[in-house]
Amino acid sequence: MRVIANIQMVANIAVLFFVIPLAIIAVNTLLPKKLAGRVSFYLGGFAGIMQAAAAAADFFLLSANRLHEYEFSLLWDLSIEGSERFSVDSLSLVMLFCIGMVTIVSVLVAKQTVHDRKRAYVNLLMTLILGMNGMVLVTDLFSLYVFLEVVGLSSFILIAMFKTDTGLEGAFKYLVMSVMATVFMLTGLAFIFMQTGSLQYKHVGMNVLRFQSHSQSVLIYAALILLISGFAIKTGAVPFHSWLPDAHQSANTAISILLSGIVIKVAGIYGFIVLVDLFNEVPAINMTVAVIGTVSIITGALLAMQQNHFKRIVAYSSVSQVGYILLGISTGSTLGLLGTVVHIFNHATFKSALFSNAAALHEQVGSLDINEMGGLEKRMPVTAFSSVTAFLSTTGIPPFAGFWSKLLIIMALWKSNMQVFAGIALVASIFTAAYFLRIQKKVFFGKLPDKYENLTEVKGTVKFAEIMLSVVTILTGVFFPLALLYLKGRGII
Amino acid sequence: MGGNFIFASILVPLVGTCFLPVIGKKNSKLRDVAALAFIATAFISSTLALPHLLSGSPVTLHYELPLGLSFGFYADALAVFMAMTASFVGTVIVFYSYGYMAEYENQNEYYAMICLFIGAMMGLVFSTNLIFIYAFWEISAICCWRLIGFYREEITILRANKAFIVTVAGALVMLVGFVGIYGQTGTFDLAAMKGTHIPPWIVVLILFGVLSKSATFPMHNWLPDAGVAPSPVTSLLHAAVLVKIGVYAYARLFVETFNIDKMFTVTVPVVAAVSALISAGAAMKANDIKRVIAYSTISQLAFILLGLSCGNKTGVTGGMLYILTHSVAKGGLFLCAGIVEHNVHTKDITKMGGLYKRMPLTALAFMLCAFSIMGIPPFGGFFAKYLVIDGIISSGNTILGAVFIAGAVMTVVYLTRLFVKVFLGQPTFPHVKEGDRRMVVSVMILAILSLLLGIFMPIPSGLASLVGGGL
Repeated sequence: MRVIANIQMVANIAVLFFVIPLAIIAVNTLLPKKLAGRVSFYLGGFAGIMQAAAAAADFFLLSANRLHEYEFSLLWDLSIEGSERFSVDSLSLVMLFCIGMVTIVSVLVAKQTVHDRKRAYVNLLMTLILGMNGMVLVTDLFSLYVFLEVVGLSSFILIAMFKTDTGLEGAFKYLVMSVMATVFMLTGLAFIFMQTGSLQYKHVGMNVLRFQSHSQSVLIYAALILLISGFAIKTGAVPFHSWLPDAHQSANTAISILLSGIVIKVAGIYGFIVLVDLFNEVPAINMTVAVIGTVSIITGALLAMQQNHFKRIVAYSSVSQVGYILLGISTGSTLGLLGTVVHIFNHATFKSALFSNAAALHEQVGSLDINEMGGLEKRMPVTAFSSVTAFLSTTGIPPFAGFWSKLLIIMALWKSNMQVFAGIALVASIFTAAYFLRIQKKVFFGKLPDKYENLTEVKGTVKFAEIMLSVVTILTGVFFPLALLYLKGRGII
Repeated sequence: MGGNFIFASILVPLVGTCFLPVIGKKNSKLRDVAALAFIATAFISSTLALPHLLSGSPVTLHYELPLGLSFGFYADALAVFMAMTASFVGTVIVFYSYGYMAEYENQNEYYAMICLFIGAMMGLVFSTNLIFIYAFWEISAICCWRLIGFYREEITILRANKAFIVTVAGALVMLVGFVGIYGQTGTFDLAAMKGTHIPPWIVVLILFGVLSKSATFPMHNWLPDAGVAPSPVTSLLHAAVLVKIGVYAYARLFVETFNIDKMFTVTVPVVAAVSALISAGAAMKANDIKRVIAYSTISQLAFILLGLSCGNKTGVTGGMLYILTHSVAKGGLFLCAGIVEHNVHTKDITKMGGLYKRMPLTALAFMLCAFSIMGIPPFGGFFAKYLVIDGIISSGNTILGAVFIAGAVMTVVYLTRLFVKVFLGQPTFPHVKEGDRRMVVSVMILAILSLLLGIFMPIPSGLASLVGGGL
């Protein structure tokens, strides 16, 4: 009896992932203008905290009931044929938690970097969250596509809304690339629909095996190529990465945190997870994803070494780190997926930390050109410390969190007989170390130029975000073996 | 009960590190004392694990984790020997720093990093799992990066980055090897893999890590460059802790745990021989006091590696003893060099001379430590070097033995040259004073210990001969 009550509870909490953003939008829009200027950020932060709390609660409820996934609907009856089904599982809950966490950081940073159009920012943030929540909760490819478009639209406006020249340019570039992705994906979905007659995950998974004739398999392969290209564009994986640094660099830093921290992962990576899961009978897909991943790791890191703009380096670093996540997905094994999920969480943490550092530097120094800086650790110790922890975590140096996820991915690759990829991925970490050492040397570690003698540490919410993310990175890293024990206890690994 | 000693020796410095900057903001005296106390605790508690070891029941802790990971500590002879050596020299170096570092900024970071470093070393030597060994290995690389860049000059940061990149690159290649072992055995636990034969390609991958950390040819050249760090740091990195990590890993993995192909008892000594000769030659040419001693470190590390890799009990015992005597004596040499360059404000030995009149105690300590490194009886270094060369000759490789004797002769030559240039000859700095009292006491402790280790050789060699029981 108690167990059933708990299961109902899982669904009740899961509904919140749609209710919270919609309710916040309604409240935020109806508020009088003067009041909105003061409370909008608090509403946004509240949504983030609620989302993270709901995801954590649901995760533990689900595993306490020893369930892998649970299907639910919003207002309609699930038993009616063709009704939209949502489902929560451990993977989607971790993604939802990351969305909540990044939202909190974005709002904390926005409090100091967004000075006008606060209400619009929060509303768009909520639609963005709604889109991302939808993507990870749906159970069919077409709904996935619809929510992906919600995410894309919110992102364009968020990048462009402050109407700076670079912001508009970045948004335009992103828009053009995304339209291509849309066309690719819709076409791909149409091909699959022709073949299977349904786009529900469970039907696609079963029916793809049935293709026998030559022309039919050509169709499926064409669909896969189109879908992979579409998601690769959204992820910013090489060779479709060119929009990403422009968009992430030109947006307000609060928005860059969202884009780099979570949007590329939900809009792109999650799509890859679904694809590999659905089409794991097609052997070529694993190798394709692995190759895209490896090329992204190396290209992203090499390009990051040449940049002089703090945010641009961090953006290229996203391209490179996404490569590791793709490699984890390409194994198609539970261990690989675990590594992927942990790396998504870690990447959300350290990338948010690095963009918070960018916000701090932009507020205090007024520029993000790393050649103009130097020795800032003396004046900005918190920012310096948080950037060092984030950099070491990105590089995968123990005892920081990033080490464990990289290790899991490497172990999974090795077990899936992809030793060469494992070796390349591991040794390529040295490139990550190289571009971050360069940042550290030019920005924090060194002699302080006279002109920065009077510089002070950033205050308020940005500082709070930096401290919070450093603590999360260190604690996750030090206590990760306990997480492994928990997962083992739940029978996941 | 016994497990508490290991926990104390690892956790006190590691956890203490978090508090040092906080204490230092309030009271810098208290911070200095706390740093010394944390590291001394590591030394005392690793010494307390000794009775358990000698009574035949080494302290051990073991927690099983999923995926072939495990969290465990094991205080066998090798671990306790390394832990005692590193934490003792670490303690002396911290005491020395009181005098040397007094005038510099960033002391909070300095003491925190030293403390973290010793904690990582303790964790590394006691760990029984490849992944935790790797984890502590990289923590030491982080400390090394911050410490070498301590002065925040353009050049020091470049060198710090170089040391970080070289050692981390080596470690990553080594990690590929570890994962390769995992692919073969399904576990990272050393106890479970005891006696397993591992293929040569994995040995080569792991050797990259060992050679990069122990600064052996061809991955040695970060070490002389890292001499731009403050002298106590150089002493800690180049003599006591960092460079010993690599040879420790060699002993732990290839002597104590895995079974490797016979060919490595020839190839590794050959690499060591090349390293010994090249660096000894470089030491003869160098004119920077710390560079000479740094090249000498590379050369002496080759002796240690030779002893551990030659595949017989004599050599391994000699290698272990040389880890101890070299840590003490080379630590002393770097600290003496620190006193000299701190007071005369140059590192160029061509500008120095006659300093023994102005700094008699430093000169004496330098001489005693140099005798130990040269291998003059009855100093500790003599016995160790003798056993190492005995080891390689009794494994049938007379030519390599001859090469290393030549290396030992070169050691005598370049250390004598250094002593003559710095301390003898025409006095050049007539007004320079003897170093700070705490600094002189530290170097005297290490110098006298170098002599005592030789006179009472049976005590350390009794412990060292417990290592490599399987050979």
